[in-house]
Amino acid sequence: MNPVWLDRMLAVIVVSAICLLGISRIGSIIKLFAIQSLVLSIIPFLMNGPLGVHRIALALVTFFLKVIIIPMILFWAVRHVAIRRDSPGLFGISISLLLGGFLVGLSFFLSSCLVLSEKPFSDLLIPSAFSTLFIGLLLLISRTKAITQVVGYLVMENGIFLFALLLFDVTPLLVELGIFLDIFVGVFIMGIVINHIQNEFDHTDTSQFTALKG
Amino acid sequence: MIFFILGLPLAGGALAFMLPINRSRSILLFCVSLIHLLSVGSFWINRPSSVLSGFLDLDSFGIIVLSIFSLLFFAVSLYLPSYIQNEKGRSNRVFAGYLLLLLFSMTLVSLSQHPGLFWVAVESTTLLTAPLINFHRRALALEATWKYLVICSVGIALALLGTFFLAISAIQLKSLLFNEIVHQASLLSIPWLKLSAIFLAVGYGTKMGLVPMHSWKPDAYGEAPGPVGALLSGGLTNCAFLAFLRLIQICNSADQTEFLRPVLLIFGMASIALAAFSMLGQADFNRLLAYSSIEHMGILILGLGLGGAGFYGSLFHAINHAFSKGLIFLVSGNIYQKYRSKRVDNIQGVLRSSPFTGGFLIAAMFAVTGIPPFGTFFSELMILSAALKAHDYGLAFFYLFFLSIVFIAIANTILKMARGLPPDTWNEHSKNESWGSLLPLLLLGGIVFLLGCYVPSFLDRMLLKSSGILGG
Repeated sequence: MNPVWLDRMLAVIVVSAICLLGISRIGSIIKLFAIQSLVLSIIPFLMNGPLGVHRIALALVTFFLKVIIIPMILFWAVRHVAIRRDSPGLFGISISLLLGGFLVGLSFFLSSCLVLSEKPFSDLLIPSAFSTLFIGLLLLISRTKAITQVVGYLVMENGIFLFALLLFDVTPLLVELGIFLDIFVGVFIMGIVINHIQNEFDHTDTSQFTALKG
Repeated sequence: MIFFILGLPLAGGALAFMLPINRSRSILLFCVSLIHLLSVGSFWINRPSSVLSGFLDLDSFGIIVLSIFSLLFFAVSLYLPSYIQNEKGRSNRVFAGYLLLLLFSMTLVSLSQHPGLFWVAVESTTLLTAPLINFHRRALALEATWKYLVICSVGIALALLGTFFLAISAIQLKSLLFNEIVHQASLLSIPWLKLSAIFLAVGYGTKMGLVPMHSWKPDAYGEAPGPVGALLSGGLTNCAFLAFLRLIQICNSADQTEFLRPVLLIFGMASIALAAFSMLGQADFNRLLAYSSIEHMGILILGLGLGGAGFYGSLFHAINHAFSKGLIFLVSGNIYQKYRSKRVDNIQGVLRSSPFTGGFLIAAMFAVTGIPPFGTFFSELMILSAALKAHDYGLAFFYLFFLSIVFIAIANTILKMARGLPPDTWNEHSKNESWGSLLPLLLLGGIVFLLGCYVPSFLDRMLLKSSGILGG
């Protein structure tokens, strides 16, 4: 509908991903992830072309799954494991933020190398998809708490979702729903495992998972 | 027929969560796997027609992978009742339920003709096995489950991204079904296809456990109960192998073989090399088997990278490896229940304490390391001859060198376990050998042995046809 608004929303997604790198309170991390997903669920409405059932279904499923259900599961897990903060982990906050900025630059460079046969509906779509993906991966590998790692995985999935929008007309809805289902079940199982980890170890610091070696 | 073979394990899985007692669940598991096996057998005679406008179809790659898994699953379902009986006070609800759902998603993997649907099915196999790895509920098992879930999910997410890149590359095509992509490969956009090939190789390579994405594998296989290890290493790795087969088929038809070849050769050789050195002096029996699985995955990918006779060898090796690894993991299940330990130091005198299991242990050692007359020997030989035919003498040399290190490492460990006297701490009252725990071993061992002596003509035809599709 409106390319300016679309670009603004994409910028919000990338900025929120960078902010995730700078936060250590787990509650805020989950909330910010929910906000990012909320913006993500608006994007199908801002794209060109007629507003079909397919598009509305995609937006609604994204909304219910990533804005309501998954954050609820994560909050449930946090309550059970009684942790509030995640240490900045491998790199520390400032280096993480710097790396985040570097990754955004890298994404723009990468997407300038790849040409599409048809021009996408926004020039920012591919770079922001790459940025979100990379930052999610950075969050996943640099943090130590299990819940933050799950959020990192989900941010990665958000980046992949942006790529999926490029393929809107060729990807059948059923397959997309299958993908959502897998993410949902994955997070559900991770939530349960986090809970088990807490009962077993009295912490959810995966950096102390060093018994299995060799 | 396709709907039947998908619906059967799904309904069975749902029923298994509802049934009240162990015995009824065991019978259900056995019946479903037997009917599944018989229907898959009938597919060899009468191929089912495709359904859902071509989304689900059984091609020659699919039928090989499906048959391997169905047969392996049948052996595990035979083995399971006696295994659960020895885990005092444990219900088999989780086992039976998740295993049947796993059978469903593995069937779906081999039937999917759409890359997206294929991805969904592969991811669901990862999720369904997580509760099974955590069966012993120890701290270590939990740690292994966490690593397995996180690393495999990330790997699979990269594969999803690769799938999207493939779709972007094929944006001028009407549909994304595999045979459509192969037939109209000239319309693919090459830069996106290359990017997609890399992401798919890394993503599905993680699922397969190739070096350097293998780090979850020793942990997960090490902590999983024996029968689950058998399914993980014999069955689940094959769904990633299927992904590689399809990837090669697509790259061949788009004339990008030379781009993919070095990637496969490097992944293959690195996996064999790292696995070989990690096996030397390995103190945990199941971890040893996990590294052996990494080594065999390396051999499979190396065979695919070499091409020519390597395709036939690789497909044949996938079959041999599945059954020999299934055999040795079930043997390890027997040994674990006898000694309640997986440490090699604590296990001695298996031949004395349980002579049949000990005998199978020795046989499995030969089968896994590729000693004649087992089928693994011939498939490894085919891959070697493919390397020699391609004049890759350096590759052939290192291949043989690492395989001999593997043989030394495995033979050293297993012979130490088999010979000698059982330790004093050994529990006299623990499990004795029963038919239920030996018959599946005989079945799997027999298959690998037979494949070494004689390859039935229908299998030979199917392997030739499949390697022909790959360009061999």
